Amino acid sequence: MAENNGNAGAASAPKVDLRRRAPMGQEVEKPKNMRETIGRLTRYFIQAKRLLTGLLLAVVAVTVTSLITPSLQGQAIDAITERSWQEFRTVLLLLLLAFVANSLFSLAQTLLAARLSQSIVRHMRYDLFYKIDHLPIAYLDQHSNGDVMSRMTNDIENISNTVSQSLASLLSGVLTIIGTVAIMFWYCPQLTLITMLTVILTVLVTRFMSKKMRVVYRRRAAALGRLNGHSEEMISGYRTVLAYNRQERTKEEFRELSDSLTKEGIRAEILGGSMGPLMNAISTLGFVIVAAFGGYFALQGMITIGVISAFIIYAKQFSRPINEIAQLYGSLQTAVAGAERVFELMDQPDEDNSGTEIIENMQGNVSFRHVNFSYLPGKQVLYDFNLEVKSGQKIALVGATGSGKTTVVNLLMRFYPLDSGEILIDGKNIMDLKRDWLRHNTAIVLQDTVLFSDTIENNIKYGNPDADDATMANAAETGNCAAFIRRMKNGYQTVLKQAGASLSHGQRQLLNIARAVIADPKILILDEATSSVDTRTEQGIQDALVNLMKNRTSLIIAHRLSTIQDADVIVVMDKGRVVETGTHDELLQKQGVYYGLYMAQFAGNQT
Amino acid sequence: MLKYLKKYWFYCLLAPLFMMGELSMDLLQPDMMATIVDDGVLASNMEVILSEGVRMVLLVLFGGTCGVLCGVFANIAAQEFGNDVRKDLFSRIMDFSFEQTDRFTTGSLVTRITNDVTQVEQMVMMSVRSLVRCVFMFVGGIVMLYRQSPRFAMVAACGLPFVTVIVVFTLKKVSPLYTVIQQKLDRVNAVMQENIAGARVVKAYVREAYELEHFSEANNSLCDTNLQAQTILAFLNPAVNIVLNLCVVGVLYVGGYTVQHDGSITPGQTMAAITYLSLILMRIVFFANIFQTFTRASASWKRIQEVLDTPVVQREEIPEEAQKEKHPADTGMPEMAAKVQAAQQDSSFTGAGTACAADVNRKGEIEFRDVSFAYPDDPENPVLDHISFSVKQGETVAVIGSTGCGKTSLVQLIPRFYDATEGEVLVDGQNVRTYPMQELRDKIGIVQQKAELFSRSIRENILWGSEEEEVSSIRGASGAPEGTNGSGQEKQMTVSDTDRNVREMEAVSRAARIAQAEDFILRTADGYETQVTEGGHSLSGGQKQRISIARAVLKNPEILIFDDSGSALDLKTEAALYEALNREFAKTTRIIVAQRIFSVKGADRILVLDNGRICASGTHEELLQNSEVYREICRSQLKKGEIGA
Repeated sequence: MAENNGNAGAASAPKVDLRRRAPMGQEVEKPKNMRETIGRLTRYFIQAKRLLTGLLLAVVAVTVTSLITPSLQGQAIDAITERSWQEFRTVLLLLLLAFVANSLFSLAQTLLAARLSQSIVRHMRYDLFYKIDHLPIAYLDQHSNGDVMSRMTNDIENISNTVSQSLASLLSGVLTIIGTVAIMFWYCPQLTLITMLTVILTVLVTRFMSKKMRVVYRRRAAALGRLNGHSEEMISGYRTVLAYNRQERTKEEFRELSDSLTKEGIRAEILGGSMGPLMNAISTLGFVIVAAFGGYFALQGMITIGVISAFIIYAKQFSRPINEIAQLYGSLQTAVAGAERVFELMDQPDEDNSGTEIIENMQGNVSFRHVNFSYLPGKQVLYDFNLEVKSGQKIALVGATGSGKTTVVNLLMRFYPLDSGEILIDGKNIMDLKRDWLRHNTAIVLQDTVLFSDTIENNIKYGNPDADDATMANAAETGNCAAFIRRMKNGYQTVLKQAGASLSHGQRQLLNIARAVIADPKILILDEATSSVDTRTEQGIQDALVNLMKNRTSLIIAHRLSTIQDADVIVVMDKGRVVETGTHDELLQKQGVYYGLYMAQFAGNQT
Repeated sequence: MLKYLKKYWFYCLLAPLFMMGELSMDLLQPDMMATIVDDGVLASNMEVILSEGVRMVLLVLFGGTCGVLCGVFANIAAQEFGNDVRKDLFSRIMDFSFEQTDRFTTGSLVTRITNDVTQVEQMVMMSVRSLVRCVFMFVGGIVMLYRQSPRFAMVAACGLPFVTVIVVFTLKKVSPLYTVIQQKLDRVNAVMQENIAGARVVKAYVREAYELEHFSEANNSLCDTNLQAQTILAFLNPAVNIVLNLCVVGVLYVGGYTVQHDGSITPGQTMAAITYLSLILMRIVFFANIFQTFTRASASWKRIQEVLDTPVVQREEIPEEAQKEKHPADTGMPEMAAKVQAAQQDSSFTGAGTACAADVNRKGEIEFRDVSFAYPDDPENPVLDHISFSVKQGETVAVIGSTGCGKTSLVQLIPRFYDATEGEVLVDGQNVRTYPMQELRDKIGIVQQKAELFSRSIRENILWGSEEEEVSSIRGASGAPEGTNGSGQEKQMTVSDTDRNVREMEAVSRAARIAQAEDFILRTADGYETQVTEGGHSLSGGQKQRISIARAVLKNPEILIFDDSGSALDLKTEAALYEALNREFAKTTRIIVAQRIFSVKGADRILVLDNGRICASGTHEELLQNSEVYREICRSQLKKGEIGA
């Protein structure tokens, strides 16, 4: 369609697209509440007031100059026809000026649009990240979907690009339509009406076609989705495919999917490909009609040839924004739907941050009093949970999965709020304590190690950014990881790639322990810290943990009973209730639940 | 690439041909317009206007039809081409050995089959359509412009180099920036990803502010680079437009001047010239676009070719002695080769006993003779070091040892996922290298460390490894001989569908019961018809493991291998699983790889692996007495340790 420039005036170059496009098929996603979302988006735009005003002014200037040029060009042709050379020179000079002005303004427009959209991207992404950092753990646990989040980062760019481009196009489109029609009417109302007819025809055909196309494109997108899903699953599951001799079956399935994609693809592309020539034909038809009637009117002496030339360009200028606006609407909808997802996340309430008290000279006595808790209403996890931990004690929580051990940690760290009851530290309710202070004095080591793609130094100092290098070296020594860090070429400055993927699980866990050491907390929580480590590595970690637990109140959650036998108190949990408490020996003598668990791990497979 | 296009040469030829038709219309049109203006309007001749108008409409219709047909053929060529490449690619990938897949990595293979094929497809499309169009339009435009007046051509000749320089310069500047942008975008995403995954740690150490600053840095740097690229690009269109419009003014001036002085140019020609001019100059921008697509596509094609050019290795070798011993007759050899080939190519495996298995009777014996193994990407560090042992039919052998001691590598040699670097692995007395691969793998049910489920129903996932016919026939009594031949299958096919479905369901639920999976399956909303979501995120690790165990069990293999596949089960369930296996699969050889003492205690024999060597073997009690390594493992797991979590 862009190929036929008819009688081009201020022709504009097609966009050079340097970026990779999405593979194929665009789906229009419908937003739920368009008006409200657009309202919120507008607020982001208004934040960049100056850029926005500049952009809008530039758009107006570009539109006005591009409206003037066809008329000037027509005047030039008329001047040639009438051989009035004086006028010809003047018009030519004006035309030149108009062209230059148009180019400069459109440069300004593009620059401002880029700046505007980047400034909005920056803000939105920052806001989103800020939100993510302040979300309650509950939200992240329920929506633990990393790729939804990362899609949001991409979404944002898409949103602001689309919106800032749409904004410019929309404004210039409306201005162009009004301006063109006005000028055309001024020249010759009759010809204007005829021209409008052809334009309306074009618009109708476009709408009809794009409706049809949306259906086939959607079908193709679905076929593509199935094919991609299949290949992804089968290739990443190739071990299973091979083990079950399913190569031929899988190939056959792929062939079928691939054929159906090709079929849909050809259908879609043929329809899409016909669009160009069809539009071409229609616009040429319009062109002939304008020429014929224009010629007739010119013979009648109503208009000049220059006017015909101008009309041809105006007709084009007039139909372009109409089609554009129709297309814009689709992509705008998708963008707004994306924005809706972003805003939905931003609307989540922040993590509770109440409480201001701080305990001087903290001892580390922890008590849970009549704690009831449920993650989901109606599904209670903890029932009247009571626990007293004295400063410096080592408490172990044991029980089957789902018995609520980890929940205890979530509550103590204020990751989740209690339903009822209270948790006290040195006699003070943790909800009255300053949240960050509480967390500063409590360190956790989890089963799943968490490292950041940063230097080892920064990863260890994560627990205490103010620590000096000597402290860090000490912590590494205590955490049993100094030896392997020294063996690395860059030592503490080694940058961990992909969150420490190159380290063994045991090494990662040791770094996590060193981080807890450097934080120097009064209360320490170990949540299954060694359960996914093999027994030999475990020894090293055990030693590190012994060092770590000295002089601290420790709460240990364990699956393997072997590791907690010397705890001061072992708390056995079952279905959210404490069923037994006591030392290892006491509990064994009791021959209760703990005894059963213990014997199962010992005696297990004797059938 | 030509090889693939050859099949569609006809379309590749037709498309440009029709393109010419469309083009001629585009090129003739402004010329006719000039005639309308000069001979019609200026000469006050309404007839010329009408007749030229009708001719023009006809021409447009003709051109439009050509254009549509060109699109049709170009599309058929490109998409069928893409389809063929895609199918070959997938086929080849499915024939890859583990080693080859590992080398490419699965992620990269997936991109190749999806993204890269699309890129190449687009290139083919562009070559037969846009490139041809561009070239002809460019040349045709110049010719037509020259025909209007050589002086106009001069104007175009002045503008052309400028446009070219502007486009090339911009692209050169911008292209490298996009690599940088991609890296910075990855960085932003990585920070976000880490923060979400490690939210507990971020919060526990109260580092929100630090992370925000960290992110801000990455974000700003990305936005800045993005802006830089967009700024450069912003100059492209106005710059090209300025040149273009200067040329328009030039044409008008030349036109006016000539009309004034010698009259060899008419106003209509001047109008036409403006159109041709923009046609020509715009081509440069289009060329740039095509060039971009081509660079991208050629990189993609290279990646595709890399896969296609990788030879399929690791097929059965036909041993010299086997030829002599088993097929003394001259016809033996070709016959066997044919069968081996049939086994490879036949998609529905037609039952055991057709090819040259060492023994037709079900056995399931395994022997390792002095086997060493190193992964191909790390030949310096052998994972297994001269290992020898044998397993009898129906025996349960457990392998225990710390991570990285070679347990998984050991069992992967049995179904020939990898080949031993030294020594031989024998199944039923025959070296696995010479065993027909398909038959070998049919004998073995292996449950991998990481349970791989597919996005279909639970029932289909369990059934996934077995042919329907087999399922409904064998499951009646366990251990029934599997020597069904072609005609036997024919008979079973006639059994009514409902009957077969019932039997199939019985078999599935029996397998699920053995795998201790039925309880939780029936608790889900749709039972066996519950859809497993992509990657099995809707199921817990233990549930996934049990479904994949059921899948292996349903296959009714002679050798059952559990590669640490009970690790996510609680002890009670694991014990029940072993008990069920003992009961139902007494005759099946079982190999259990595990880290927990509990998992291996009940085995007939336990192999203790340490640094790629078997350092001890025997029953639990024997090992407790004799093996220090075993005792150490026991101590750390069972006895009173120092302390821990």
